[in-house]
Amino acid sequence: MAVLAEYHRPKTLAGALELLADQTSRRLPLAGGTHLVGVLETRRLRDVDGVVDLAALNLSYVQQVDASLRVGAMTTLSDLVEHPQSAALAGGILPETARFEGPLNLRNAATAGGLVALAEPDSELFAALLALNAAVVTVDRDGVESCRRLDDFALSLSGTAAAPILITEIRLSLDRAAGGHARIARTPMDRCIVAAVVVATVNGRSSQSGSAVADGDNPARTALCGVGPRPQLAGGPLVPKGDYKGSAEYRSAMAEVVVRRARVAAASVGQ
Amino acid sequence: MPSSVTLTINGTPHLIDVHPGELLRTALRRLRIFSVKHADETGESGADAILFTRTPDAPKSYRLVNSGLLLASQADGASVITLEGLEDEDGEGGQRSRVEFLSPRLSALQQQFIECGAIQCGYCTPAQILAAQHLLDSDPQPSEAAVREAIAGVLCRCTGYVKPVQAILRAAAQVQGETPPPPPIDVRDAPATGEWPAMDEPPTNGWSDGGPDTQTQTRSLPATVAPPRTQVVNKPEPKVDAVKLAKGRPVFADDVELPGMLYGGLLTSPVAHARILSIDTSDALALPGVLAVQTYADLPRVIYASGGQSYPQPPPYDQVCLDSKVRYVGDRVATVAAESPELVQEALERIKVEYGELPAVFSPEEAMQAGAPVIHDESDAQMIHDAKGNVAVKLLVDHNDVDAALESADFVFESEYRVHQVQQASIEPHIVITYWDEDDRLVIRTSTQVPFHVRRMVAPLLGLPVRRIRVVKPRIGGGFGGKQEMLIEDLCAHLTIATGRPVRFEYTRQQEFSSARTRHPQQLRFRSGVDAAGKLVGMEVRVVADTGAYGTHGLTVQMVTGFRALSTYWLPAARFDCDVVYTNKPVPGAFRGYGAPQALFGLEQHMEEMALAFGMDPLEFKRINWVKEGQTLPMAVAMGEGREGFPQTVESSGLAECVEAGAASIGWGRRDDADWKTPPDKPHIRRGIGLAICMHGTGIAGLDMGAASIKLNDDGSFNLLVGATDLGTGSDTVLAQIAAEALGVPLEQIVIYSSDTDFTPFDTGAYASSTTYISGGAVLKAAEDVSLQIRRHAAGHLFQGLDAGQLRLEDGKVFAPDGRAVTLEKVALHSIHQEEQHQIMATASHMSYVSPPPFAAQYAALEVDTETGQVTVEKAVMAVDCGIAINPVTASGQVEGGMTQALGYALCEEMPYDDKGRLEISRFGDYRILTADEMPELGTILVQTYEPTGPFGAKAIAEIPMDGMAPAIASAIFDATGLRIREIPFTPERVWRALRRM
Repeated sequence: MAVLAEYHRPKTLAGALELLADQTSRRLPLAGGTHLVGVLETRRLRDVDGVVDLAALNLSYVQQVDASLRVGAMTTLSDLVEHPQSAALAGGILPETARFEGPLNLRNAATAGGLVALAEPDSELFAALLALNAAVVTVDRDGVESCRRLDDFALSLSGTAAAPILITEIRLSLDRAAGGHARIARTPMDRCIVAAVVVATVNGRSSQSGSAVADGDNPARTALCGVGPRPQLAGGPLVPKGDYKGSAEYRSAMAEVVVRRARVAAASVGQ
Repeated sequence: MPSSVTLTINGTPHLIDVHPGELLRTALRRLRIFSVKHADETGESGADAILFTRTPDAPKSYRLVNSGLLLASQADGASVITLEGLEDEDGEGGQRSRVEFLSPRLSALQQQFIECGAIQCGYCTPAQILAAQHLLDSDPQPSEAAVREAIAGVLCRCTGYVKPVQAILRAAAQVQGETPPPPPIDVRDAPATGEWPAMDEPPTNGWSDGGPDTQTQTRSLPATVAPPRTQVVNKPEPKVDAVKLAKGRPVFADDVELPGMLYGGLLTSPVAHARILSIDTSDALALPGVLAVQTYADLPRVIYASGGQSYPQPPPYDQVCLDSKVRYVGDRVATVAAESPELVQEALERIKVEYGELPAVFSPEEAMQAGAPVIHDESDAQMIHDAKGNVAVKLLVDHNDVDAALESADFVFESEYRVHQVQQASIEPHIVITYWDEDDRLVIRTSTQVPFHVRRMVAPLLGLPVRRIRVVKPRIGGGFGGKQEMLIEDLCAHLTIATGRPVRFEYTRQQEFSSARTRHPQQLRFRSGVDAAGKLVGMEVRVVADTGAYGTHGLTVQMVTGFRALSTYWLPAARFDCDVVYTNKPVPGAFRGYGAPQALFGLEQHMEEMALAFGMDPLEFKRINWVKEGQTLPMAVAMGEGREGFPQTVESSGLAECVEAGAASIGWGRRDDADWKTPPDKPHIRRGIGLAICMHGTGIAGLDMGAASIKLNDDGSFNLLVGATDLGTGSDTVLAQIAAEALGVPLEQIVIYSSDTDFTPFDTGAYASSTTYISGGAVLKAAEDVSLQIRRHAAGHLFQGLDAGQLRLEDGKVFAPDGRAVTLEKVALHSIHQEEQHQIMATASHMSYVSPPPFAAQYAALEVDTETGQVTVEKAVMAVDCGIAINPVTASGQVEGGMTQALGYALCEEMPYDDKGRLEISRFGDYRILTADEMPELGTILVQTYEPTGPFGAKAIAEIPMDGMAPAIASAIFDATGLRIREIPFTPERVWRALRRM
């Protein structure tokens, strides 16, 4: 049962950040609500006085600017993956992985910004954004805009109370690429135990800079789910936490399998 | 502070005051939009799905979202469409027009949901139809995959999605102007055998006077005779309650508003085993708007057993309403009643409890060790077998000398299996509303499978006589055994008694997992012997069952385990040895199958392993040993449910035909196709097909009783009042069909009502697969009595010179042998108003000393990923002999839904704990229920036999679909990989580890 004393729907980013920075009350940003409303309702999150709804900030859009696609943070996952340009990226890796974020009625409300902020360890769509070398734009209370690569970006759900920042946009390269995806789950549509997403450039064009993993002659970025506290690029140490879906040992062992399969899938798409 | 929001609902603008934390779902239901349902707090159920847009001027901008994951404030300025908005084309805002009341209009989707049998409990139906409508609006000719994706976010626990998908595809065709053919149902008759004596004139039903005498009836009717001679029975009649469910009308327990109603809530234990050293409720009570806080200190201490079963309750008696000791994480600690749900939550969080923690045990092995903490050390618990040893119940049953039999066997085989704990997970949580009526009687409106048991059981806990309690069972949103329990009615009623106000009390989804009921985990050890010909000579089954913190259903579920394990195959000698053990875990209880799925997981694998070890084909080994027509079930006498049972003989079995029909459907021959089993293009994939046979029961012999009342109305229609409880299975429809058939009227002439302890006669309730057989027997008796009264009156006044025996009821008329006829309306008007005035009506009861077993063969075809251990079921088939299917559509729906639950049991549903006994799952999703877009193909074949003791030849079908899927999958994994896995669920890691050990 959500016990809230306040609800705010500011019309400007500055107004939203002001509300979030106000230390007289404990407030959280509210995007689609598919996560936050649930944790408030189940009382997993209790020390909250109010929410700041970001719906009126005009952050729901998908638009091309030069060679990149800009996705507003309040764009729903459905709108993101149904947009023809984002849907076509890396052979359709976004719609392919988005299916595993949850069913349609959740994807219709969950937002791209919320996905990035949560960085859930089994989020295959997040892994796809990582593999696509997405960038995240944030704004702080002083109006300073920053753009960082997703793999360098770590933001807790609430930010820090004293110096809140808000995700405003996700940027994706429109370079041609091939995508591959492999996963292990209890059932075909369950959230994954372990999954891998590979995005490999095609026709010799380079992917955006980042910690690429060589895949034959093609530079490729490989992201993994289920082997750490958040999705991560392959190549680094794996620190899986075991649970009832799969032990740490199993997850570690399966990482190799899904990476191999995702690379094969990407290679077959790229041919 | 409340604020005002503007919200357009189904085209009508509303200005409503909402609290900052109020959900849109709550606000909609306050506005009487009752099609929007609560099923969980985290959105996975989708039962509260609506169409939503913030730009209503763009009709295509509506999206399907969950109203329980939106704050009402977020919807300020938005527009919402619910099912109520779809149904009314010329009215406004979901207001039903006069025309609609007189003749309900149905959309194509609603028509097809009804015609296809896509509605079972109906709790998820509004969201499913809304999701489907949204799909068809954008994609008028969708693929099946698109349909499945569209409804994947609306969990259904009843249907297995087969019929909803079918309905949506047919509705799409209908909208395109096509006339889809009738929905396909595979019904075939098992060939009549030479055992069936021929008769020129078959009786109108399988027995003449039913009841205890039914066991003396002889088979007289070939299976192929019954169906063509019936007009209503054995026909795919639409469900009698389908229209209101398709329209999302307020039919469920929570769909009422009572003036002054309070909200109730439960504080549960965060620790697994502790004494409550102190509870301070003062802070909670100090909150304005909190009317009551109750702890063990406030309620009388009355010992009871909570399982919803016949009097006297099977032991042990080990519960009280609220106790000073907690025995598992999720156990009851305190309750609150307050003016709003938010206040309830605040009050619960203000209760200060000091726990004196005790050592806890989480497995029977630990609990049975010397020196283990004693879970039930209270002095007033009764009939616990060995409280100090944590053994709730001890069962030891022998038939003949099994030791000698095994000693004499040519081959003895022993193996062990483990089954785990799962939850019923009905989409509607446990919900009850209690209030005092104008006569100071306590009304309990509750989602229960056992209204009459609840009334009897709750009375002593409340200190009220039964006569001052009325239990109303409205529509139920699924039960599956979880509501065969007096679970929260006592707590809610105590709050009404304390406050004098109506109180609504509902579990959260987390509480459904932690504090409702589950399936018993078991460890099963089988030891069997065969002679040189492969005939079983004896079997011993040793079971250690985990009953959690309380013993409810512990005795009877395990008794069924033993009975199924030792009766499916004919055994000259048998022994069942079982300990039902307390642990500090959430409590198992009744769950569809009731001990049989556990038994058959072990039994079917044991038989298969034994055959292979012995050098026989497993199917042939099973075939020569399975119980056949004419054979007795020796364990039945020794193993009644909590008391001595009654002799049983198998009177009908289509098992051989089931095995044959299922094999053809699954493609059994593929087991010999190397390319299929080891696909060259997928080196890590292995494929296999497995089989399990199943035998279940039909009611509890000598115990279950149902009653029915029928009365004739002025227009020739009939009221049928039954105490039976339709929890979505379609039993109201089936019972009405039986009455209609016997009274010679179409189904719409039967107005059925179930159930209300004030108005309907007694029925034990919906469990043990008994309703069609037992309650149906009562309906048939009452109908035959009414039929006789009608014919007598007609003979005496309207057909002078004839007697009742010469008349027959057909087509809404009374016919004389010469073809003359009068309508039932004429008989009714005459008997009520004109001559020898009286009410033609009858009440009848039925019970049976026999429990004829339905039989089935369940098959699974699957692939195993040998690198990852992932198991993917491609197709599941069940061919089942349920006697004559009174309604083939509802019967096949039971199979599809049951098989889907069984797939979950085998593959993905589980209740994991941490080392403190805390559940690691608390929501759907983590507790994985299969969704529409990941289902394997399901095949259902109804192989009809004629059961002479059942109404119109029927026996049960509700539970048997749950029984054999796990062993069939185990068998298929073995066929695919050569790997025998003796524990469920078959999660990827479990299979992977087993593969690595090969």
